[in-house]
Amino acid sequence: MIFGLLILHVAVCVLLAATSRRLGRSGLLVGAVPPAVTAVWAATRLGDHQPVSADVAWVPGLDLAMTFRVDAFVDIMTLIVSGIGFGVFVYAYGYFAPGADGIGRFAATLLAFSTAMLGLVWADSVWSLFVFWELTSVTSFLLIGHKNTDKQAQVAARQALMITAGGGLVLLAGLLLVTRSAGTTLISEMLPVDGATATLGAVLVMVGAATKSAQVPFHPWLPSAMIAPTPVSAYLHSATMVKAGVVLVAVMGPALGGLPAWKACGLAFGVASIFWGAIGALRHRDAKLVLAWGTVSQLGMLITLFSVGTAKAVLAAVTLLVAHALFKGALFLVVGEIDVRAGTRNIDELGGLARSMPIACTVAVLAGLSMAGAPPLLGFVAKEAAIKAALALEGPEAWIVGFGVIAGSVLTVAYTARFLVTVFGAGPETALAPRRHALSVPAAVLGLAGLVGYAALGPLNGVLGSAARLAGAAEVSDLHRWPGLTLDLGISAIVLALGASLGLVLSRRLGHVPAEYGARWADASIEATMTFGRATSARLQHGSLPVYLVTMAGTAALAALPFLGYVSFDHVVAWDTPLQAVLAVTVIGAALALSFVGTRLAAGLALGAAGIAVAAVFVVHGAADLALTQLLVEAAIVVGFVLAFGHLSRSFPRVGLRWRAVRMTVAGLGGAAVVVGLAAASRSPVAEPPLSEMATASVDEGGGSNIVNVILTDIRALDTLGEVLVLATVALGVLALARASDRPEGSAS
Amino acid sequence: MNGALLLAVGGLTAVGLYLVTGRSLSRIVLGYSLLGHATVVALIAAGGPAGRPPIAGQAEPEAMANPLPQALTLTAIVISFGLTLFLLALARRQRTITGDDLVEDDLEDRRIAASDSMPGEPEDQAAT
Repeated sequence: MIFGLLILHVAVCVLLAATSRRLGRSGLLVGAVPPAVTAVWAATRLGDHQPVSADVAWVPGLDLAMTFRVDAFVDIMTLIVSGIGFGVFVYAYGYFAPGADGIGRFAATLLAFSTAMLGLVWADSVWSLFVFWELTSVTSFLLIGHKNTDKQAQVAARQALMITAGGGLVLLAGLLLVTRSAGTTLISEMLPVDGATATLGAVLVMVGAATKSAQVPFHPWLPSAMIAPTPVSAYLHSATMVKAGVVLVAVMGPALGGLPAWKACGLAFGVASIFWGAIGALRHRDAKLVLAWGTVSQLGMLITLFSVGTAKAVLAAVTLLVAHALFKGALFLVVGEIDVRAGTRNIDELGGLARSMPIACTVAVLAGLSMAGAPPLLGFVAKEAAIKAALALEGPEAWIVGFGVIAGSVLTVAYTARFLVTVFGAGPETALAPRRHALSVPAAVLGLAGLVGYAALGPLNGVLGSAARLAGAAEVSDLHRWPGLTLDLGISAIVLALGASLGLVLSRRLGHVPAEYGARWADASIEATMTFGRATSARLQHGSLPVYLVTMAGTAALAALPFLGYVSFDHVVAWDTPLQAVLAVTVIGAALALSFVGTRLAAGLALGAAGIAVAAVFVVHGAADLALTQLLVEAAIVVGFVLAFGHLSRSFPRVGLRWRAVRMTVAGLGGAAVVVGLAAASRSPVAEPPLSEMATASVDEGGGSNIVNVILTDIRALDTLGEVLVLATVALGVLALARASDRPEGSAS
Repeated sequence: MNGALLLAVGGLTAVGLYLVTGRSLSRIVLGYSLLGHATVVALIAAGGPAGRPPIAGQAEPEAMANPLPQALTLTAIVISFGLTLFLLALARRQRTITGDDLVEDDLEDRRIAASDSMPGEPEDQAAT
């Protein structure tokens, strides 16, 4: 089933890409089919305690496999990814005007993202997880840059790619270390690890998660990504992709949760993001940016709760994960509808929408109350659970998490109140375009889901509970619709009152639009990376063949250095006959002469001399066939050389002394490296060759007394045939080149 | 392993490398040829000591040189011959067109190295 669904996604994606022009806007409805099917499948499996898995081996020897596993926690994520995905596809149908540019491309990319995201949450092997993790970064890049002629969109897309894909590389390093300590690449089989390697790995994994989930200080890409069309913001940048880091922290929690560094890192990222995100949401005036900064804050809350790792905290986190996907998705969709119908999303220019957009207003209020954690909505249950989890902790952790959760909630209520009051409250009446059902229905469904979730908390308890158990909680208590008159409820009431008044006060203060502190830092570091890249490629890819060759030869020579330790002269004799020494000197002498002579004709003759000396080496060695072949070949090459270059009378070009010295050094090193390699190899001589068997077999089976020839024509017949083909091809090529017109290309014929 | 042949291999490799890193196509062909020689001598030297030609009936098997590396080397000689000839034909063609045998720098690469921005990059980014 798992592969079936993935293949369905990929097939529809290919279909959309191929027919993007013809289908136009209806491509979005075609694209909605695979998420719908997947969502139905996930919904039927809710509460099912038996995980399903599927895998296909890729490189068995390296433990590389595409392994997928859907358990209760992953099932909830699947429902979020595909359920909201389906809604977003329908919504996008209403969002884009008919015949707008590049809708087909958009639909195909959005579905590609959907596929990658499913692969990510389903992955059980860390390597499949990594592959899909990077794929979501790439598809996110494409979707943010959907308006690909817009400079701002280009910059935002690049920023997101640099931060999330860079974080992916950090994650890869972390996964390598963690799998080394854990001894398995399957997340479901990992047992708690400890030790220095595991600690470093855990920190790197957490940093990778923080980049994807837009945690401070890696958050700037998320607000910038709001340049994307609203369906993308609702889907990728609030409900699903930014949750990838949170999901990673959740699934790695059971294995890494015992490491102090893991928890410390998670709390640092999480608590810092809770506050900085909420402050950002209170400062901005663009409704979409308010929501984006709110997402940074909520993701911080999720990372905090998952890295605390107690049963209560994990249960609260899973509940908040679901609640957040619903209310933030709904709010984004409402803002998108406002943007489409009012033509602006600046909260200064919006007003009176409560009367002119009653449905949108109701949805936004429902979702907003859920975000603020007010009853009777799922967000209330999640926040109660979070407060309860914080109160149950002990020591400094209790203070940090308690402060983060409670003060963070106050700020959350504040920015929610400010958002609702400024967008829907009194103000200048905004002119509106007519309503589109495709826009309002998905938003309404998501908004109501929070209410339904609260009402159906009984059955939901089992589902969320079993999910939390898989994400690391040992025993799970129940969620409560109404906690009773306890300390938690008191805190909740104070939080709501404080937050609401703060929000109302701030909503009347229309300050200046704040500068983007974080974005400047991100831009500077990205610019530095690009400058470094330019400088490196200017230096390495300078276009000069000699420099390339010298670099490569030098590197290869240095690579021979380790063999120096293996050099042994035990098996090296000076010579078999003194004649070999004489010939060796002759060969080297001819080669040196060849490099010193000034004219091409003399060089050709020196080449002939070197070749004849090599042929003599063969004769002395007892290789008569080689000597013959060598002589023939050498004669042909010298003739060819003289034909090709002989009448070029100009002497060889002069080169600078320094460059010549560099070339000589590298060439000397290269020669030495070959000697070292051969001398090292001679340390382990092979067994004595079976000469008499070869001689007998040559006569009896090969029917020839020349053993070399029998080897070539019998044993290696196929190789020899290939060799003949190579020579024939060369002959054709030489012929074609020689017969080509003598005039340069392009001149008049 | 034969020390004299080992030195010959080292010398041929060094001179060959020096020549192929030059700018003149004719010297590159020469260097390539020398590198080919270095390889075949290395194969022969690694294959065992010198001996009588490996022809059954003309020598005692114990006195023969190892025939297997010889067969491999023969292939190496022939293939490197083919490649050298092809290089020569290309060089001749270049001489016909440009009137010289020099390897030019890749102009596109030089342009990229000299310019500030990568191709396809938003220009305002390069300016800031």
